[in-house]
Amino acid sequence: MTDGDRLTRPLTREPDKKLGDESGPNVPNIRKPEGGNELLRRMKKVDPDQAKKYRQRSGQ
Amino acid sequence: MRRILAGIETEYGLLVEGHGAEVQVDDSMALVRDYPGECFLHWDYGFESPRADLRGFRLDRLAQDPEDAKYDAGRSYGEARDLHSNRILPNGARFYNDHGHPEYATPECWSIFELANHDCAGQLVVRRAAHTMQERIGRLVKIYKNNTDFHGASYGTHEGYLVPRSVGFERLFQGLLPMMAVRQVLVGSGSLGAADGRSKGFQLSQRADFISEAANAETLYRRPIFNTRDEPHAESGEWIRLHVICGDANMISNATARKVGLMKLAIALCEINQSPVWRLKDPVRAFQAISQDQAYEFRVELEGRSWTTAGEILESYFSAAELLLDLDQELRWVIDSSRQLLTDLRSNFDRFRREVDWAAKRTMLDEFVESEGTTWKDPSLRSFDLEYHNVDPDEGLHAALVQMEEVAPEPEVADLLACLEGVNESTRAFARGLAISKFKDYLTSVCWRTLTFSENGKSIEVDLPPDADYPPQLAEASDVGTFINMLRGIR
Repeated sequence: MTDGDRLTRPLTREPDKKLGDESGPNVPNIRKPEGGNELLRRMKKVDPDQAKKYRQRSGQ
Repeated sequence: MRRILAGIETEYGLLVEGHGAEVQVDDSMALVRDYPGECFLHWDYGFESPRADLRGFRLDRLAQDPEDAKYDAGRSYGEARDLHSNRILPNGARFYNDHGHPEYATPECWSIFELANHDCAGQLVVRRAAHTMQERIGRLVKIYKNNTDFHGASYGTHEGYLVPRSVGFERLFQGLLPMMAVRQVLVGSGSLGAADGRSKGFQLSQRADFISEAANAETLYRRPIFNTRDEPHAESGEWIRLHVICGDANMISNATARKVGLMKLAIALCEINQSPVWRLKDPVRAFQAISQDQAYEFRVELEGRSWTTAGEILESYFSAAELLLDLDQELRWVIDSSRQLLTDLRSNFDRFRREVDWAAKRTMLDEFVESEGTTWKDPSLRSFDLEYHNVDPDEGLHAALVQMEEVAPEPEVADLLACLEGVNESTRAFARGLAISKFKDYLTSVCWRTLTFSENGKSIEVDLPPDADYPPQLAEASDVGTFINMLRGIR
């Protein structure tokens, strides 16, 4: 058997995380896409309430 | 190593202008019936066993989402077959409605890249049907390849893998569960907020919020990481179909191939009883914690007060596979490209996001927040999340990123069209597809494991062994009798 336990470490207290933080992630540093005209053009056409109106039957 | 047959079933989101979820079953059936291409209609449900459990028992009933059940209050749909429209295609795929969702089940494939192409070709099939329906009813019809409606409903993208039954449940569960929990780092599709609409930051997985148990046979409610449904679609004494329901629908085709390739690595190690040993303290919590980790550390708590990371779990599979498996080129690609991505996640996110849906979506939303001076509370961001999965190439946001060469390219349209004509591999889907394109007039029903013909007043059922090679000479059969005899000779 491959010994996965070799890769483990003692459990220490996890750093405090702010689940539900609205500010979005702070790592990694995300570069803004270049030449974003087509993407932004389409984003501007999206109904901002589209997700609110989107109701689906539960599936598998 | 043994080659592993695999397929993907994707339930699509369906939005018909002016219609609500209460008529979605009807809309979904109608959409499938509007598919304009060549097809065969009669699916044989005789071998289906959704309540059978790999652990050797059978459920009395499957749990249903109580919220969703309200939509059906007072309605009677009759027999299961009355709830379904079926279109079996000349490539051996099945396009149908699974209750409220149009679903495309690819032909079975040996190659992960062939499978990714067929998964992508499924988008073309659903779009064609949607276009016809839209013309017919005069209402806008939109199709989304995602797994959440942001209001508490989820629908699946399931993978199926042909695995010898002799491997056994316990070994599969222990050997595959860690991979199922962590692969989202490389193949999650990303989701903004929680399943019930609350804010929860940006998640890696669309399914994490809908998973509540480590293992069970349910798919509609109380969904597990490891689904134990025992529905082999093949000789049940010899095979199981491993039914993986915890993955996301991918828009990036390479991610689809990688998603399947990662599972194949884990299955192959299981088969030789050499899986990395990881005992997750709480698998469901681990799955959800990875999905929600805003710091991208992806720590996983283990039994015995220790911890590791998703990256180290993935690497343990890679190193074991390199040491113990006779890797083909595809699985070599899975390992090499995955390792590169794990490095890129830390050092070159621009490269990472080209191959990984959650990162592409994350970047897109971040760019909007920054350029528009808005905040992560802006409700339109969730609409952009949804529109990332819009399969219309002229509207979808993923499609825009492809056009801008900001993410990995998609298969050529010519290749997707070829996928709809037939299959390139020697799988049983090749035989199924030929039966439909050449001998449809003699077919009475089709399912994954059999073809049933009527010849001279006699019903003839032919079993399709799932691990056999189906020779190209099948295409040269000039009459149905010859075709049946050739199929019977395949073992």
